[in-house]
Amino acid sequence: MTRADSISGGAFLAVGLALVASGWTFPPGVGGLPGAGFFPQAIGGLMALQAVGLLLKGESGGEDRRPEMSGTRQVAGTAALLFAYLLLWGTGFFAVRTAVFLALLLRFLGQGWLSATGYSAALTAFVYLAFSMGLNVSLE
Amino acid sequence: MPGSDFRSEVRALIAEILAGLAAILDWQVLGFLAVGVSLGAVFGSLPGLTATMGVAVLTPLTFWVSAEQGLAMLLGIYCGAIPAGGIPAILINVPGTPASIATTWDGYALTRKGSAGLALGVNAIASAVGQLTSIMFLAFLAFPIARFALQFGPAEYFGLALLGISLMAGVSGRHVIKGMLAGMLGLALALVGLDPMTAYPRYTFGMSEFLDGISFVPVMIGLFGLGEVLIQISERHKARKSASAEIGRILPSAPEAKTMAGATFSGATIGTMVGAIPAAGGDIGSVIAWEQARRASRDKDSFGKGSLRGLAASCSACNAAIGGAMTTMLTLGIPGDAVSAILIGALLIHGIQPGPLLFAGNQSFVFSIVFLLVFASLLIMAVGLLGARPLARILNIPPPWLWTGIVLFGTVGAYALNNATVDVWAMYAAGLAGFLFRKARIPLGPLVLGLILGPMMESNLRRALILSRGDWLGLLTRPILLVFLAAAVLSLLWPLMRRKRPATHPQP
Repeated sequence: MTRADSISGGAFLAVGLALVASGWTFPPGVGGLPGAGFFPQAIGGLMALQAVGLLLKGESGGEDRRPEMSGTRQVAGTAALLFAYLLLWGTGFFAVRTAVFLALLLRFLGQGWLSATGYSAALTAFVYLAFSMGLNVSLE
Repeated sequence: MPGSDFRSEVRALIAEILAGLAAILDWQVLGFLAVGVSLGAVFGSLPGLTATMGVAVLTPLTFWVSAEQGLAMLLGIYCGAIPAGGIPAILINVPGTPASIATTWDGYALTRKGSAGLALGVNAIASAVGQLTSIMFLAFLAFPIARFALQFGPAEYFGLALLGISLMAGVSGRHVIKGMLAGMLGLALALVGLDPMTAYPRYTFGMSEFLDGISFVPVMIGLFGLGEVLIQISERHKARKSASAEIGRILPSAPEAKTMAGATFSGATIGTMVGAIPAAGGDIGSVIAWEQARRASRDKDSFGKGSLRGLAASCSACNAAIGGAMTTMLTLGIPGDAVSAILIGALLIHGIQPGPLLFAGNQSFVFSIVFLLVFASLLIMAVGLLGARPLARILNIPPPWLWTGIVLFGTVGAYALNNATVDVWAMYAAGLAGFLFRKARIPLGPLVLGLILGPMMESNLRRALILSRGDWLGLLTRPILLVFLAAAVLSLLWPLMRRKRPATHPQP
């Protein structure tokens, strides 16, 4: 079986069934015309059917082929840093918060402290000048 | 009198052409175009940074300027990135953008023979020929197509949207089911917000931010920007080759130019036609053009081993797809590829609705686009010929610097759209989804198309049903709709039919 196909097939099936179920909660159409729930149900139904096809394909795929998940640690670390950065959005100064985040991200991605600090400071200054000063976007 | 009518029509057309040209002959518009072309050249030259990513990440920057200036920058990126994608394809055998896959076959072989400069020169010239040919197609055929499309009613627009999504799923290679599922997911995401006919809120979870639907641009930045960065981070153990600074002669000699002229123009024609098909882009066009040039050549064995004809055909075709995709996008409002899907979003934010009405009410703007594309093509040819050496050096920039730059530009760009953190959350969620989809080999194109075409599909189907008083079978009496439906079914069955036939010519 191909594990990626089975997982994605299961996920799409769940979304499809949820759309079909939620479609019943919307007001029905009048005079034989479709209402607000028609499209969610049509899309959900088609999605569920195709997802079953993908699930069956995944289960009968022969070899046990798993998705290539190399570099998971780096991706998880990057995602965690992004999440932390977003949680801290609005606290402190944009320039300081962003420069620290970028330096940590660069360091995590294997750059030396000196180059990480210098590049993150320059990049932050450029973006701050472009958006805050140039385009008048409030970043604080 | 018919003669004077014709003369006044011609005079009006010339006035629109001149107005279109005058609107962009402004130092600010041309400056934005030059910046866009330069940025496009950088995005295209770096493997992993595609034209789609460049346009998605930099679209928010254009919201503070006029439509002409913003569009100049985005078209510059589009026209700059595709030819520049040939640079790493030629120098290190890694396509800079998906469109330049076929460029690696003969381009890298030329580099190994010591003719990297010549390959880069052919790439620059053939790309410009391809782009200019397809722009001529846009200029001459877009108006008749748009005039024909003015006959479309809601039923035909529904059929067109359905055809667009089916074609996108149909060209998803071996992953047709996944392509269709991605398209369905895009349609499902487009349901968020107020119902287009009754204004009943759907899937808003009580949040006012979702009443207008999911913001398109942050999702694009996430899918094509952050998602690609995460993929590259996960594959960073695959070391990137560095390019040599020594590339040699750039301009082809007269006999060499004569040799490849036919292949260049046939590639341009094929690329334009393929690009005009919704969802089929430069990657498909360049492979078909390369194969066509090989079949037409008396020296078939040289293809894949450094043939100038093969290189010219593939470069010209992948660039010609730009004009084809723009024609479909501008005349029908259907994206020809992922970049034009984002361009539709950008145009809508500037208050411009692509589609046949644009040609009826705003002709000068269409001519402005045509002139911008011409200037961008000429500019990127000059950059390609004069800047081949510095562009080759860009390949040696440390990837983490690029990744952090894209993440920061994407984050601030998504936030700056509405000064809303929810857009940044949407962008990060889309980035993670883009990463997981790529890992599961689920194509992203149909998802984008579904998101764009969803509202058009739903509202037009329901309008058509109101007009036919709820009679579904009555819709099937409309011939144009029937053609679209038949083409949609064929496009989905085509990959299954092809799978039955053995491949005849393995690619190098």
